[in-house]
Amino acid sequence: MTNTRIFGYSNPLYGKNGDKFDFHISAEGTKEVKSEIVRLIHGDENPEGPGFVEEKINSNFQKNIQVERQYTQLGSYAVVKDDKDILHNLNDFSIYAFVYPTMTFGNRFNSEEKLKSSGKGRQTILGTWSVTDNKGYGLGINNEGHLEFWIGNGKVIDQIKCEVPIVSNFWFLVAVTFNSETKKATIYQIGAQNQWNSLEGTHVEIDFNSIVSEKLSILPEKSDKPFLFAGSHERNDDRGDFISLLYNGKIDTPSVTDYVLSKEEIFNILENQKPKKHIAIWDTSYGYDENGIDDIIFDVGPNKMNALGYNRPIRAMTGWNWKGKDDCFRLDNKQYGGISFHDDALIDCNWSVTSSWTPDKNAKSGVYALKISSKDKEEYIPFFVTPKNPKAKIAVQMSTFTYLAYANLALYFDGSITQAIYGMTPIISDEDIELYKLSEFGLSTYDHHNDGEGVCFSSWKRPIMNMRPKFRGGGVSFPWAFPADLSLLWWLENENYDFEIITDHDVHFGGVKVLKNYKTVINVTHPEYYSTEMLDATEEYLRDGGRFLYLGGNGYYWVTATCRNDPSCIEVRKLDAGSRAWEAKAGECYLMSSGERSGVWRSRGRAPQKLMGVGFTAEGMDRSEPFERMPDSFHKRVSWIFEGIGDNEIIGDFGLALGGAAGVEIDRYDLSLGTPINSKLLASSYGHSDNYPLVSEEITFNFPGRGGTQDPNVRSDIVFFNTLNNGAVFSVGSIAWSQALPCFGGKNNVGQIMKNVLNAFIKDGPLPGSQYIGDEKHWR
Amino acid sequence: MTIQENKKSTFYKVGRRHFEYRIIPKVNNVWNRTRFPFTKRHFLKWRGVYNINGLKRERLLKDKMPLWWLIGLSLVLFVTPNLSPQLIGVSSIFCIYSSINILWTLIVGTAGIFSFATLAVLGVSGYIAAAANVYMDIPWPYMFLIGAFTGFIFGTILAAPSTRLDGLYYALLTIGIAEICRVFVLQLRVLAPQNGSITKVDSFIPDKYFLQPEGMIIGFYASFLLLLFCLLIWRLINSERLGLLLRTAKNSREDEAFAEAIGIDFRRARLWVFIISSSALGFVGAFYAMYFKSISPTIFSIDQLMILFAMMVIGGIGRAEGAVVGAAIVTFIDKGLIELGPIRIIIIAIIMLVVTIFAREGITGARKQFRIFRLRKSGERRALRTEKNGEVMPEEATEIFDKQEIYYRRFNKRLRDNLKKIITPELIEEHKKNPTGNHSDSLARVLNFFRRADTADKYALKKIKKTNSKNVYQVIAFSGIKTHPPRIVDDKEYSELSEALHAVFILRVNDLLES
Repeated sequence: MTNTRIFGYSNPLYGKNGDKFDFHISAEGTKEVKSEIVRLIHGDENPEGPGFVEEKINSNFQKNIQVERQYTQLGSYAVVKDDKDILHNLNDFSIYAFVYPTMTFGNRFNSEEKLKSSGKGRQTILGTWSVTDNKGYGLGINNEGHLEFWIGNGKVIDQIKCEVPIVSNFWFLVAVTFNSETKKATIYQIGAQNQWNSLEGTHVEIDFNSIVSEKLSILPEKSDKPFLFAGSHERNDDRGDFISLLYNGKIDTPSVTDYVLSKEEIFNILENQKPKKHIAIWDTSYGYDENGIDDIIFDVGPNKMNALGYNRPIRAMTGWNWKGKDDCFRLDNKQYGGISFHDDALIDCNWSVTSSWTPDKNAKSGVYALKISSKDKEEYIPFFVTPKNPKAKIAVQMSTFTYLAYANLALYFDGSITQAIYGMTPIISDEDIELYKLSEFGLSTYDHHNDGEGVCFSSWKRPIMNMRPKFRGGGVSFPWAFPADLSLLWWLENENYDFEIITDHDVHFGGVKVLKNYKTVINVTHPEYYSTEMLDATEEYLRDGGRFLYLGGNGYYWVTATCRNDPSCIEVRKLDAGSRAWEAKAGECYLMSSGERSGVWRSRGRAPQKLMGVGFTAEGMDRSEPFERMPDSFHKRVSWIFEGIGDNEIIGDFGLALGGAAGVEIDRYDLSLGTPINSKLLASSYGHSDNYPLVSEEITFNFPGRGGTQDPNVRSDIVFFNTLNNGAVFSVGSIAWSQALPCFGGKNNVGQIMKNVLNAFIKDGPLPGSQYIGDEKHWR
Repeated sequence: MTIQENKKSTFYKVGRRHFEYRIIPKVNNVWNRTRFPFTKRHFLKWRGVYNINGLKRERLLKDKMPLWWLIGLSLVLFVTPNLSPQLIGVSSIFCIYSSINILWTLIVGTAGIFSFATLAVLGVSGYIAAAANVYMDIPWPYMFLIGAFTGFIFGTILAAPSTRLDGLYYALLTIGIAEICRVFVLQLRVLAPQNGSITKVDSFIPDKYFLQPEGMIIGFYASFLLLLFCLLIWRLINSERLGLLLRTAKNSREDEAFAEAIGIDFRRARLWVFIISSSALGFVGAFYAMYFKSISPTIFSIDQLMILFAMMVIGGIGRAEGAVVGAAIVTFIDKGLIELGPIRIIIIAIIMLVVTIFAREGITGARKQFRIFRLRKSGERRALRTEKNGEVMPEEATEIFDKQEIYYRRFNKRLRDNLKKIITPELIEEHKKNPTGNHSDSLARVLNFFRRADTADKYALKKIKKTNSKNVYQVIAFSGIKTHPPRIVDDKEYSELSEALHAVFILRVNDLLES
């Protein structure tokens, strides 16, 4: 195992030639790395394909880069802007908040053994606590799972805790009051569950309420660090200041008063009677508009000490007072005061810029990478260069949304169902293991946070280990998403097509204008994550005569949005019947970034079949199968697509992804889901194993026999249809398609079909065969 | 598939009423807690729990030791004055011996230094304090200071070799020192007329009451105070910073290395405990001389030392309650049953023998030992009644939080039993020929079972890149714990993926057949 570690990311991830790309690099075990800019052409090292191909770019980019270790702050928290130091100069005070912890040991099974084995320490909910200085105050959960309030004067720490543990997945009103004269502190833990908001109902309610009062021995000393939600301050010599003792769970309406609240006043909060005056009251339900909410948490008290979230605390979550009827903040924002914090959330590594590069104005658009290497380690930091002045007729739309959604996937290690889904034993490399142990660069939208809640954000401001050219990922033995998409680029390059690349982000932000620059646009192997803007742009493009090749599986699937003030970050919530790695909780189905209901597009009235003619139907990872021609392919309208292909020729019984062109994730034609009626079913795959079961959204009532050997809906379809104004769509519902292209040096029947389609698509005027609008009339 | 009834299982009824007192706190009542003055500690340690059977919040006493101490010490304090003078004397001696034992426990238990110089320190301090009083006319209250100071000096000298010598060697050294002290005192010409003793020492017991009932009572109260004083020292050292530091380094050499690595200077802490305890022993030495109004060379004798040692062994080394309980038993037999004559020494020896044979950590450790024993026995009994991965029994079910697990166990056992029947050489051959893709129904069933197993110990393949750009595969197994890497199952390498997949299959079949 190597001792050198080099990681990095590019910000932005995509840009036009002429734009500057900043590289953020962290390295351990070396001070200097060799560097060069390369253009990535093929990523899969499989010997049946061309192998790894890159092109060195003659740029004046530096040959060596000085590097250093950079640290990453994991975990979401919020920092209060308190310029007047009000929260540090409290004498008497009370702090209260509603909380919904998600990672405590007090699961009502007061097992001390369990507590020890979990190895999880203290969590701070609110306070100014500084771990290094032992100063300030904090309200949180101690390492025995009890609600605790602690203060420190630099030498002595004193604390008061509730008698019984606080419990995961229930709402509580927690409060502490402190009298500086008598040093008397009182801590309150009061159950706030109703029929809707907590894990269990009120009919089996346990007395969670614990109120403890005690004289403390010291007064807290000012910590000169900002007041935090969900964390404490710490410092060490190497790393400097950072946030530790992070909290897992929701916080709703945290508030501070500068006098001691009575027991009655605290109980009144549960009845929605707030104390008469506050010095801070962060109204976590304030700030929503119909398009969601930002990271600012507003203080609606007299001092306006707003808090700002880091690493994206999750908003648009149900609050303590959620009553079930209004299931979106747009219906009643007052019930959406919950903000969810996680100790392993990561949006932005915040590393300093190590190096930068600006591609030449005339540089070819493409997938570039900064290649950095030391003696025993090599790292690629890919980025996408799109053209400033588009010239080519073909554009390839790189699935940057999908790359983010899958970024640093760890599911195949943690999920016990993975092997059942894959239908085979996973194949793992040393790199996978190394990265899994590290778990330092955040999670994918397929993973769960430490407390078991699903991950809904993913960004490019962090090293993304599976967005690397040679990566064979996710426990499967073939490349997935980004490295797989390179197979398509290699083939286009090999066939000397003039093409440029654009990204999901370009289409999302630029709309139809971006697509309209091109005669035809190709989508890659797995464009699974789509925003409304992208769908609309694509639909408009096709209506206006654009031509589109959808060469992927399970595309146009999840309702996704970019964060309101941060294009690097996407948000998706997994729900509905989709094939989902996690499931949003009741009432938490709307995106905080756009106000839309997330889930699968099919449930929002835009099934993928409607746009592209095919939609997700099955997945499996044991074997891929070939296609065979269907009778429609002999119609003169479309028969030109099969020029050079025999009538009974098996198409794509080879491929770098499991040995076939139809596989991994496959889509099918379905009129009932909106496949256009003018679609021709050109070819279908056959012979899938039972490890390709029908996907869950296809199942209303379940019954046995819905695997590939028994269910006719388990297949991949190739569909063609014309759209208005000479537009057209050619869809292959299979991830493995593009990975079949590089076989036999690119000369194969999959490539032949591609060539037939592309050559026709890039020509102006009507498509070949479009004059044959009549059907056969019993002549034979 | 048929479901056979499992004839082997016998199910016993489980469940019981509370056997200990639990407080059920009033809802929304404020619990005002008070602390021990000048500390952050509370008088009693409580534990708040949710009783999920009764849906109630309950409060239990977590540490009952303070109550036992209170009861025990109150008994001694209030019963003793009503006894005969002779028994009052026994009780006083019990208090003194307990005090010595507590301090010795600090040295042996807390500091982990095997010193037998306890009585030597005590004796030397006693002698010097007594000599100062008798020959230099220093008033008796100062004797305590002189004793403590002597203890401090002597302790410091003795502490030095403890950093160099280990266990047994140091023990021998200290026994030698005690003997040297005895011989030295006996040979002092000044003390020759009194056979080496110093007599007529001034004392807190006025001369007129000495050996009178009043004097006995005064002596008892003073001894009781001495015991409280030593308990306080025990508490301050063992439960505060020094004790905490030492507990980190206590169990083994690895722990010592660990403690050192994280910056705990446990050697220094050890020396401090030794020196503080020695000073306190010096104090007790002065008290000893005053209580008896004399001091004689027997204080250095081996038999005296052995009596003390017996107390510790019987009570349990390393804990204050052991020192006190041991002292109570041995003092009562040795001094209270004096009429029995030499037999009582035999009785002590027998008790010592029985305790060492049956109770590894003395009488006070017997409870814990019994609990461990009971746990082991019930484990054994359970093991006898169940087969591996078999049915959950009612008494196990109480320990499983998620009751669904119980069903899974039952279901999986039946499923495995049925799958075992369909594993045939032909089935294995079928997999060997074609590890992926379509399979016969039987093989598909078996594979489905394997694939949906829990993550922990689940097999996977590791791909290793060789220099000649050929890949080989190795079988690994997942840890099932987040961020913990998988382990390598064996060092066999497979050059073909299908071979490796089949190897995993064979491993899984073996696991299934063995279960």
